[in-house]
Amino acid sequence: MKVQTPEGEHVDLLTVNIGPSHPATHGALRAFVALDGEIIRAASTEIGYLHRGFEKMVEQGTYQQVLPYTDRLNYCSAILNNIGFSHTVEKMFEVEVPERATTLRVLLSELSRLIDHQVCIAAAAVDLGALTNYWYLFNPREEVYSIWEKLSGARLTNAFTRIGGLYRDTYEGFETDVRDVLPKIEKGLDDAFKLLEHNRIFIDRTRGVCPITAEQAVSWGWTGPCLRATGVDRDLRKDDPYLSYETYDFQTVIGSTGDTYDRLLVRMYEMRESLSICRQALSRLKPGPVNTADARLSLPGHDKTYHDMEALINQFKLVYEGIRAPAGEFYGSIEAANGELGFFIVSDGTGKPWKIKVRPPCFTQFAAYADLVEGSLVADAIACLSSLNIIAGELDR
Amino acid sequence: MTSQPLGLNQALTPATAEHRKAFETKAFEILSQKFEAAMDPRDRWSLTAIVPGSRLRECVHFLRDDPAMRLDLLLDITAVDYLGYPGHDAARYAVVYNLRSQRFAAHRLRLKVWVEEEDPQVPSIHDFFEIANWQERETWDQYGIDFSGHPDLRRLLNHIEFTGHPLRKDYPVRKRQWLSTNDPLILPLEARLEANGFVVLEHVAVNSPSVEETDLLGKSAVEKINYVEKAK
Repeated sequence: MKVQTPEGEHVDLLTVNIGPSHPATHGALRAFVALDGEIIRAASTEIGYLHRGFEKMVEQGTYQQVLPYTDRLNYCSAILNNIGFSHTVEKMFEVEVPERATTLRVLLSELSRLIDHQVCIAAAAVDLGALTNYWYLFNPREEVYSIWEKLSGARLTNAFTRIGGLYRDTYEGFETDVRDVLPKIEKGLDDAFKLLEHNRIFIDRTRGVCPITAEQAVSWGWTGPCLRATGVDRDLRKDDPYLSYETYDFQTVIGSTGDTYDRLLVRMYEMRESLSICRQALSRLKPGPVNTADARLSLPGHDKTYHDMEALINQFKLVYEGIRAPAGEFYGSIEAANGELGFFIVSDGTGKPWKIKVRPPCFTQFAAYADLVEGSLVADAIACLSSLNIIAGELDR
Repeated sequence: MTSQPLGLNQALTPATAEHRKAFETKAFEILSQKFEAAMDPRDRWSLTAIVPGSRLRECVHFLRDDPAMRLDLLLDITAVDYLGYPGHDAARYAVVYNLRSQRFAAHRLRLKVWVEEEDPQVPSIHDFFEIANWQERETWDQYGIDFSGHPDLRRLLNHIEFTGHPLRKDYPVRKRQWLSTNDPLILPLEARLEANGFVVLEHVAVNSPSVEETDLLGKSAVEKINYVEKAK
């Protein structure tokens, strides 16, 4: 493509597709770029490769049937999506879940955040050519998946929460398993820290690469670790606490320059805070019910269903007609691993949602991608992409 | 660190129900006086202000920049199709803007603009928030709402050859469409080059579809399937 540069020079630019069939773009993200040597002069992005009509599908079933779909939003931390959705619907009912369910949700949220950040950091290091970190971070991650498997029966798409509580209480030995896995995650994290934090090559590849200012990040609608990397101290767990996060002792982590290095390091430091929250939640776990007793949300249980007429009717109505969320429009959100995950729900008072719009945190990050990479090297574009941690499931819905 | 706006790097005071109530009362008072806003009774939990489409841009601008409001984070833009909604008596569509503040934890509200079925148009706010560009593209793609003044209103999630707007209530859930080619993206790339100060001297030929794909153009889905089957 023959062009005249802003300096008046005539050059021949090469157009190249970065993705979707590129290991760093997971088969789901595409950037079409115009290259001058190795420098990206312009980029244009395309998404939708994983678009499966989430928002159309969820209008067809009941509220309970939406829950397994939420697993597929950010599949690196499925339980966080489950919690976000259940929490939003409970807020519409103004129902609080029992204390054990709340504490377990905090514990599962933070474990999910840990494994989500592990994916981001490990994959980012691999994309930069540093494979060792991957094993240090992914070995303990695998053990969290074993816990998920014992807990919910599934490794990846757990669908572990229910509107009004959890699918079921934990298995025997759950607390020991979590207690055992936390030091392993910590060890892997420390090793990755030692390998990356002061590593000359890592710093050269990430520091000053694709930076963004705080004002730009806010205008692009960024939230979560990518926003905090620019120095903006915002975290829904602190600003608008849910699940009693205000009672936990933890810090928000902020960066200063908003470059690739900061985005990755913020995630690494956040993992330390999450480990601490996990330990605090473990120490608070007391026996108790994990589902609310509110008959509008929770099934009555088999004993009652088989022996009590009203309970049988209740079970029948809840399963066949769905949970009847109060008519109206509501937006609820939580701090997911990548930022604010929100659900905008329009209810007509029946058991099926009229509309559910997901507000995915990745969407805002990838929208800015073309702007971020223009002017940088091809290799930097890959480093930048992995630091944004774009999950196509929630990006494309 | 001098480039940072005051306060963004300091933690906020957590939002409480009282703060939120106070903000909503104040915001609604101002919005109704300045922009003829009405309260949406459908939102029984927080504040949704209905504003006329003609006042939307000044309203958004005010909410973003007013020191007492500072709704500087545009969380989302979406539309709602009320076709068949029980007891609904307003326009068929509404476009909903979800705003939040990064300066005050309790400041959150939604704006709603009614959009008539015959002329589904709303002014674009892409110049107030960078992210509005993609959010408006998505809303156009899914609901067919035309954001007037948008610089590049293309489909975002659905394929370029897709016809119709799938989140409209009258779009059949099980409808299937035949999609044959990929998006060349060459025109948006040239537009970006020009925006970056380059002058495109020689336009690249858009990847023309292969002979087979050209033959498929204009055929119905069944004809396409038959055509491909025959070619095998």
